[in-house]
Amino acid sequence: MSNSSAIRFTGIRKTYKNGSLEVPALNGVDLNVERGEYVAIMGPSGSGKSTMMNIIGCLDRATAGTYVLDGNDVSHLDDNALAEIRLRKLGFVFQGFNLLARTDAIKNVALPLFYAGISSKERTRRALATLDEVGLSERAHHKPNELSGGQQQRVAIARALINDPAVLLADEPTGNLDTKTSADIMSLFDKLHATGRTIIVVTHDEEIAHHAARIIRLRDGLIVADETLPHKAEAL
Amino acid sequence: MYFEEAMRVLLANKTRTFLTVIGLIIGVFAVISIEVLGHSMAGSISETLGALADNSFVLFPGQSQGNFARAAIRLSDLDNIAASVPNVASAVPVGGASLLVRYEHNVGRFFVSAEANPPFNNLPTAYGRPISDDDIANALDVTVLSWRAYQRLFPDGGDPTGNSIYAGPHRYVVVGVKSKPRQGLLNVTFGGDVAIPYTTYIREFVRGDRIFAARFTVKDSSSIPETEVAVIKRIRELRQVGSDVSYQTFDKAQFTSGINGVFGGITVVVALIGAVSLLVAGIGVMNIMLVSIAERTREIGTRKAIGARRGQILIQFFIESFLLSSIGCFTGMAFGLLAGGAVNSLFIVKLTGYTAGLPYVQAFLITLAFSAIVTLAFGTYPAFRAAGLDPIEALRYE
Repeated sequence: MSNSSAIRFTGIRKTYKNGSLEVPALNGVDLNVERGEYVAIMGPSGSGKSTMMNIIGCLDRATAGTYVLDGNDVSHLDDNALAEIRLRKLGFVFQGFNLLARTDAIKNVALPLFYAGISSKERTRRALATLDEVGLSERAHHKPNELSGGQQQRVAIARALINDPAVLLADEPTGNLDTKTSADIMSLFDKLHATGRTIIVVTHDEEIAHHAARIIRLRDGLIVADETLPHKAEAL
Repeated sequence: MYFEEAMRVLLANKTRTFLTVIGLIIGVFAVISIEVLGHSMAGSISETLGALADNSFVLFPGQSQGNFARAAIRLSDLDNIAASVPNVASAVPVGGASLLVRYEHNVGRFFVSAEANPPFNNLPTAYGRPISDDDIANALDVTVLSWRAYQRLFPDGGDPTGNSIYAGPHRYVVVGVKSKPRQGLLNVTFGGDVAIPYTTYIREFVRGDRIFAARFTVKDSSSIPETEVAVIKRIRELRQVGSDVSYQTFDKAQFTSGINGVFGGITVVVALIGAVSLLVAGIGVMNIMLVSIAERTREIGTRKAIGARRGQILIQFFIESFLLSSIGCFTGMAFGLLAGGAVNSLFIVKLTGYTAGLPYVQAFLITLAFSAIVTLAFGTYPAFRAAGLDPIEALRYE
């Protein structure tokens, strides 16, 4: 096992129980993502894409197999321990931004630090710094309804970055954005990748996926293709 | 932070928040205003009773009996009882007559009554002195006036002692004036307006030896109930009457416990009103919390994805419930104190002259208890429901 792995799946299976019927979602997936990699996960609906993302994001546990995240075996942790892992090791970016309404950008960004028990002063300082990183420091005191979709997604990305996560996990991050704004957001991901972030993007948009350096394709709960791109698309 | 967020949520839904807490406002309002009134009424009554000496009791024949005459207490019984019942220190007749009382041109109808030493009520004197043992021993024609009689007979004020007043055909020298009683809610005075030594009363008013009632002072005031029983037993022997004739006693403790009984009843009724309104309002709080949680399912999912632990979500919604109930309860308390205070100063203080302070601490504690009970009873289930949400399901919720 490589010490530089951000994510290592070994024989991951996930089976949902629907009454007495067992529905398999992942059928023994092996996957290794190195630190600093930029990976896109693709697949049609029902391919196990969401399940895989939930397991990577420690929102769900595999039925069988081993999952090592940033050197920690998280396969058998209980709910609170998983919450702790999400707090320390993962950053989520959602399609719908999922910001707290009526709460200004800086408070939204600082939310994970609140759950981590960090003092109010330190939260504000770090939230401002992270907002600066995504180019929104001058919007720190705007509420989500005062921000454009692209700006909201930048706030959400800042929130995902504030705890310096081992993996940044984005689920259709441009799904609610127009083409121009999507390009802005994707170039932000490119920039974050360039600074050494490990990024996983789940999408069914080929163009978005081609920002990544590696594309993993799922079908019927199995990895059917794992291609490393020689170079990334220059622009959309 | 939790409070700040809860406040933001409640303020974002002002109408809903207000409608939810109306029940709590009304419930707490009712309880607190009645609490305030009860407090000042109880205060004014105990003020009244404060003037009644607590080492004595009065014995009188039962009022609703046919053979009233057979039951009548006789003067000769008094010394007999004083000598034979151990705890009795003294026994004096109680009685009086309503007469026209006159000083110069000032006239009023007042109750001329028998007074002993120690006196019937323990108000201090404003002028002069109370009836003394010497007055009693010599059956002197002296009187101590109540404040009310003094004001009527001596409207110009000043020290009236040494002047003579006429009560019907009798002439008495004023030796003292009792100070103004703090009347309390019950407009009663203990003892008469024109008090004369009981020996004088016996000489001039008692025909034959039947008296209306008798007053006993005791050596040990802690055993008044036992002494009352012993005195009634003795008077039956002396009058040679059977169980068909009844006697009654009256003392301060009896009166106080009667009043307390009334207030106890009021308290129970208020507590019931409070409990019912608490239940109804609490269900409203629970309902709105469940609605709020359903609306914010995705938010809860996001918080969990970000790394909030179960306990942190639980606390958040507990605090929101608590804030919601506190807003209602403390608004109700404010209105209750205002209403109770207004009734208190407009009616009770005007009627009785007795000013009770508002029971702020008590009201605050009652209100806090209300909020806590509503939160615990009706906020627990919603909070656990929110905390127990599955993050994947919650994030997928539309």
